Order: sequence, then C-alpha cells, then structure tokens
Amino acid sequence: MLSIKNLNKTYHTEEGDEVAALSDINLDVADKEFVCFIGPSGCGKTTLLRITAGLEKPDSGTLTVNNVPITGPGPDRGMVFQEYSLFPWRTVLKNVTFSLELKKIPKREREKISREFLELVGLSKFADSYPHELSGGMKQRVAIARALVNDPDLLLMDEPFGAVDAQTRNRLQHELLNIWEKKKKTVLFITHSVDEAVFLADTVVVFTARPGRIKEVISIDLPRPRERTSFEANAFREHLLATLGAEIQAAID
Amino acid sequence: MIIQPLKIIAAILITGIILVSGCTSTPVQNGDEPTGLTELRFGYQPSTHQIAYMAADAKGWWLEDLEPYGITSTKDYLFPTGAPEMLAMLAGEIDVAYVGSTPPLSAIDQGLEAKIVAGVQTQGSDIVLANDLPYESPQDLVGLKIATFPPGTLQDTVLRKWLLDNDIDPKEDLSIISMTSSGAAKTALASGNVDAIFLPHPHPTVAESEGYGKVVVQSGEMWADHACCVVLVSQKLIDEHPEIVEQIIRTHIKATQYIIDNPDEAARIFSNKITAVPYDVSSQSIQDWDGEWVSDPNIELATALEYAKVQYDLGYTDKLLTQDDLFDLSFYNKVIAEMDEE
Amino acid sequence: MVQSMDIRRRILEITSIASAIIIWEIIARIINKKYILPSFTEVVTAFLELVSGGELYRDILTSLNFFAIGMGVAIAVGIPLGIMMGWFKTIDKAVDPIIEMIRPIPPLAWIPFAILWFGLTQYAAGFVIFVGAVFPILVNTYTGFRNTPRVLVESGKVLGCIKNRDLIFRIALPAALPSIATGVRVGMGVGWMCVVAAEMFGVSTYGIGWKIWHWNDLHHMDMVLTYMLVLGLIALVIDRLFRYIVQEWWLKWQTGVVV
Repeated sequence: MLSIKNLNKTYHTEEGDEVAALSDINLDVADKEFVCFIGPSGCGKTTLLRITAGLEKPDSGTLTVNNVPITGPGPDRGMVFQEYSLFPWRTVLKNVTFSLELKKIPKREREKISREFLELVGLSKFADSYPHELSGGMKQRVAIARALVNDPDLLLMDEPFGAVDAQTRNRLQHELLNIWEKKKKTVLFITHSVDEAVFLADTVVVFTARPGRIKEVISIDLPRPRERTSFEANAFREHLLATLGAEIQAAID
Repeated sequence: MIIQPLKIIAAILITGIILVSGCTSTPVQNGDEPTGLTELRFGYQPSTHQIAYMAADAKGWWLEDLEPYGITSTKDYLFPTGAPEMLAMLAGEIDVAYVGSTPPLSAIDQGLEAKIVAGVQTQGSDIVLANDLPYESPQDLVGLKIATFPPGTLQDTVLRKWLLDNDIDPKEDLSIISMTSSGAAKTALASGNVDAIFLPHPHPTVAESEGYGKVVVQSGEMWADHACCVVLVSQKLIDEHPEIVEQIIRTHIKATQYIIDNPDEAARIFSNKITAVPYDVSSQSIQDWDGEWVSDPNIELATALEYAKVQYDLGYTDKLLTQDDLFDLSFYNKVIAEMDEE
Repeated sequence: MVQSMDIRRRILEITSIASAIIIWEIIARIINKKYILPSFTEVVTAFLELVSGGELYRDILTSLNFFAIGMGVAIAVGIPLGIMMGWFKTIDKAVDPIIEMIRPIPPLAWIPFAILWFGLTQYAAGFVIFVGAVFPILVNTYTGFRNTPRVLVESGKVLGCIKNRDLIFRIALPAALPSIATGVRVGMGVGWMCVVAAEMFGVSTYGIGWKIWHWNDLHHMDMVLTYMLVLGLIALVIDRLFRYIVQEWWLKWQTGVVV
C-alpha cells in the first residue's frame, strides 16, 4: 500500500551545517496495517511521517501510495499532529466539515457526514463547542474525526496522545483501535511508548539514532483485543526496550 | 469592607490640598513686590502696519529712550497673527504688544489685564482674489473659500462685519478659512485651495507681485477709516511703571512721525527686519495700501468700540466691552499735553 | 462575594473621579483665572450651552466624518498590504524598507502635502488620519500573519487546503484576527488623535478639533477644555463600542483574551 524506497533526507541548519535526518529508508506497509514508529528523539521518524504526508520533500528516494508517487499533501492521506491543531475560530463541527467545504460538498450533506464522525469519536454533544472548551483528549479525538472525514486510505499520527494523561491515553488507544477496526484504514503511528506500540501495532518499526535508519521491523502477532499485561506482550516489550535501550545509549554517546 | 475606599479618598484629598497649596503659594509671593524692571518684552507681527515698532528698534530708540528708566535690554517676539500674540500676553510673556485692535477684545474678555494706550495705524488690509475670478460686488464672493487670520483677529472681524452688512452669511454662504499665518494663506491661494485671501499689508502686494491674484477690495472700502493696530500694554506695567509707559508712547510717537516723513526708509527698515519681503515689494506695498500710520488712540476709539459690539454679537466675547475695559487714554493725552507745552 | 467586590470597585471608581473633579474645582478657584484653568462648573456650563445650542452635534458629525474616511482607507490599505507582506516573503522584502522609511514620520508632518494633494477638503483631513492609523493596522496584520501557528497551516494543507488563496482566507486570516483587531483598535486611537491636527488647517468650519483651535484663538479656555473632554469622551465610546463588537461578534471563539 505504502512503499518507501532508498529514501534520504538531510537538513541544512542556519549555520550552514548539514544534518542527516534519514538515511536509506526502505519500508513496505500493507493495506489496513497498523504500523508504529519508535526510536530515540531526533531519529527522524517525524520527518518520515511529514514526508509521507507531503509536507516535506525527500532529497532522494521514492514514496508511493497505492503506486502513486507522493508529490505533496493529498486527500488519500490524513494526519493528526502532536500539538493541538484544531482551528480555534471554528466550532467542533466546523472543524470536521473543513475538508468537505473545500471539496464543495453541500452544507447539509457535509454536516451530516461530519456528525457521523463526531458520533464515532463520541463527541456529538460538543458539535457546537469551540476548541478552547474541550479537554486535550477531546481535542485529539476531534482531530481524528477531522482527518477521517476526508476518507483517507492512510492515517498518519504523530504522537497524538503524547500530551494527555495516562488514563485518558488508555481510553483513546481503545477508541482508536475501535475506529481502526470499523473504518479499516492503514495507520502510521509515531510513539515514544513501548507499551503503546505493543498494544496498538501490527508492526513496530524501530529507528536508530541520528541519522535515522530502520534498525528492526517487528511483527506483533498477538490476537486482538489484546491484554496489556499478558506474558506475550511482556516479551515483546522487553525485546523492544532492549533494542531501544542500545539506541538511546548511542544517541547519548 | 468600606474602610479602604475611605482611606483612599482621604489620601487623594490630602495630596490634592498639598498640591494646591504648593502650586499657589510661590507665585503670589513673587507677584506682590514690584521689582526694578530691566528688560522690556515686545510682541509684533511681520506687517508694514507695525513699522513704527521696527523703526524705533532699528534706530536704537527704545534702549536709548528707556535707559533712564532702568531698562537695559529689550526683547521682541514675532507673531504670525494677533491670536497667539494675545495668548503669549495672557501667559505673561510680553509687556507691550503691537497688535490689531480686535485680538485684545476676546483676551480682555477672558481675563487679560491690559489696556490700549496708543494707536498704530488704520485700514491697510486687502482682499486678493484669484486671477481667473471676476469681481464686481461682494456678492461675487458667495460660494468661495476665503482665507484670513483666525477668529477674533482684525481681518476676521472686519471681513465678517462687511459680509453681514452686504447680506452675506459668513457661516453659510461662503467659507472663511482660518489660517495661522500669512504664509499659509498665500500658499493656499497659490495652490488653488482657496479662492481669495484677506490679509494685512504687505501680503496683498506680495501675493500680487508673485502673480497669485489681484487686489479687489481695500479694507477702507469695507469699513471707512476702521481702526487697525494699536499699542497694548500690560496692566502690571501700567500699575508698577507708569513712567515707562509714558516713555514708550513718546518713542512710539517719534517713530510714527519718522516713518510718515520717510516712507522709503520705512520700507527699507521693514525689509531688513522681515527679510522674506524684498525692499521693492515693501516699498510698493506702502505706495499701494490704503492704510495710515497714526499714534493717537482717540482716532481708533470709535471703531474699536464697534468691534467690541461685532464680536459680542458673533459670540466671541461673553460681555459687551466698554471703553473703560479696553482703553487707557490718560498716558497719551498727558504726553501730548506735555509736548504741546514744549 | 463577587457582587460586593463589584460594588467596591464601583465605589472606588466613582470616588476617584469625584475627588479629581473636586481637586480640579479647588485649584481652579484658587488660581481664579479662567484662561489659566477654567473650573469644573465653568466647563459644565459651557458644555450645557453647547448641547442646547446644537452646534456640538454638527462638530461631532464633522469630526466623525473625517475619522471614518481616514479609518476606512487605513483599513482598506493596511489589512490587505499586511496580509501580502505577512504571507509572501518577496513582497515583504520589497515593501518593508519603504514602510520602515515612511513609518517614523509623524502624521502631522504630512499636512502640507495633504493640502496640496487633496485641497482643503475632507479628504485632506482624512489623509492625515489615514497616515496615523494605517501603520498600526498594517504592522499588526503583518505580525498576526507571521505568527500563524505552523501546525494550523499544515493541518489545512493535509486537509486539502493547498492554494495560497485558500490558506490565506481560511486559515491565516482567521488566525490573525485577534492581532488585526488590536491593530485596528490602536489605529483608531492614533487616528482620533490626528483629528485635532487634521482640522487645524481649515478643511472645515466645524469639527471638534477645529473648535479647539477656534476657541483657543479667542482665548475661551472653558470652551477649549469642553471640546477636549468631548474629544476624549468620544474616543472612549468608540473604543468601548469596538471592543464590544469584536468580543461579541468577531472573536467569540476567543475567551479570556482582552483585545
């Protein structure tokens, strides 16, 4: 579904130095697959996600979604950002209708579709609220609804639950899996949390410290719904932690 | 709960009282004792009307004649119009003002303590109309923009009175545009922003010589023998140094006689002082104008009182000013009597 | 509790204004020269005379007319130019040096050219007010656009908002509205100050500013002070009205932010 070949990306700092962000990335993601990216800070996983979204361009290499090369942002890919990204001047409903407005879908219809997605994330009651009236977790749920309403094939999520408390985070993970099962999207999900990766992912991609390379691709072949504390989950967790630990040490050195 | 605001009120009141007492105590002390006056401060305007002041200054007569009375220096301030000149006098910055006979009216009405003690000249202002506009009667001015000096000045008062006399409403039938200086008025005429200007000499001649327009009415036609400039001295000077006031009048009479006798020399003195106006223009102006230099305040008395009536009717003054409010003729009359004896 | 706090604040406000008036009256009476400091009662008398005479309304309307012309053009020029400079780097680089050259010139210095270009008309007065008001509007619009959160622009892009026009009008402009509102408000403050100067050079024979000069020339300082207070009072009303409109209609989505 998503195919990344020989991708390289280098940043130029303001002082003129070159910083290699991503080096020789090759990755194939299957349709409806839930993939988590994990790695030390600054390993380039966010850059890879942004390149996939079309917000940045690679220096070399190719990316295709359903065999179509990526040249910029497109409706086939939706994205949920780490920071709160709702438009504060629009109500919750109007945030969700945003992309449908651009597609010139009639008002009545776009609001009907949007309300369905608000229902999906459990926020129907807040349709007419403004973002500042919502909690952090609610904001991210609206952001998910806003990304999904466009009906993308690929959903890109950059640590969407990074800023919410642990309890909310668990609930949001459950809800995300529910949505994923209902809508059957391909998901690329960045996380810092090994627990989160093991709970969510079909496949976990571990990145090395800068410049980011793919160190290991692990299939989490656990049945769903998963038990967070099962023996098998713990085994994956320990393996991931060990792999990551070496990288984090490398990043510090 | 209510105590705090009360405390604050008390604090504000106490501060206020301290401020008030602090502000007022010092000037009162200074003002009471008459001091030996050594410097005399004059106000005047860049007009040929007031060459008498400039002549006495150029000849060194002010210092020479006033030296016996303890005056060691004179200082003069040039004002574009009478309005700011009176403001300076209200602020106590000048002792003697050469000024039109109307600006003192509103100033005295509002509390200025000063008296007119001598005349300077009569008539001497012209309406200059843009070259391309016709003029046969005052009615031709209806709908035009006329620039003149600010409200309360002589030009403003004479113009409004003349318009009213000709059944033209100066507020509705045309626009009288108040200009803070003759320069601004001439520029407005030159750039076509106004259609006419009404200014004292030499400015009408200047405007003509620079080709901005033509003189169509002289103020003597608007109001025959109307009073124009006068010598105004502060009440403080009258009360504390009457002998200086007398000498100012003597010197003023001498200077006035001198410029009447020597108009060429008068034009030269003017152009030396007001360098923006070349000698040939000021000389031409003195030939063309309908003004007359006089030093006798009695000549200006009648129209000055009419001005007081006009300004009262226009709402410029709160009360109708009388001769006693405006004039102190005793000095002039005394000086003349003495001169006759000699 | 909240109510009693409110009442206390009111009491404080009223007493502070009342004491200022009392002190003013006392000082004026001690000085006892109307032309140095007219007393409160003299000013109130003058004000009542003006109100009953009806001339005050004509003055206010004249000044508001100049103000509306200047503000209208300042908004029509300042906001679009600020948007262009805030969004397009090349326009910013091309225009910014010119703006920085002109901006420090005090609005009043433009009076001679205002007269030459527009004559002694309402547009000359409007021009001076425009010069005073346009820069705060321009700069705040520009800053608002420059500070558009990147995540909002990128959110827009991934949601299919790709064209500059869409990004400007659907994302950057609404995001910059609070900043633009501040710019307009500051611009109105500066513009209103320019009214006094704009009316000084004879563009009309009515107007609050013109009357200040008129009565100053006649040394009626009670009238001067009355018109000064009217000038301040109208500025206050305009400002409050604008704040109300902005908060109730324009920026309802923003709370706790005082524009």
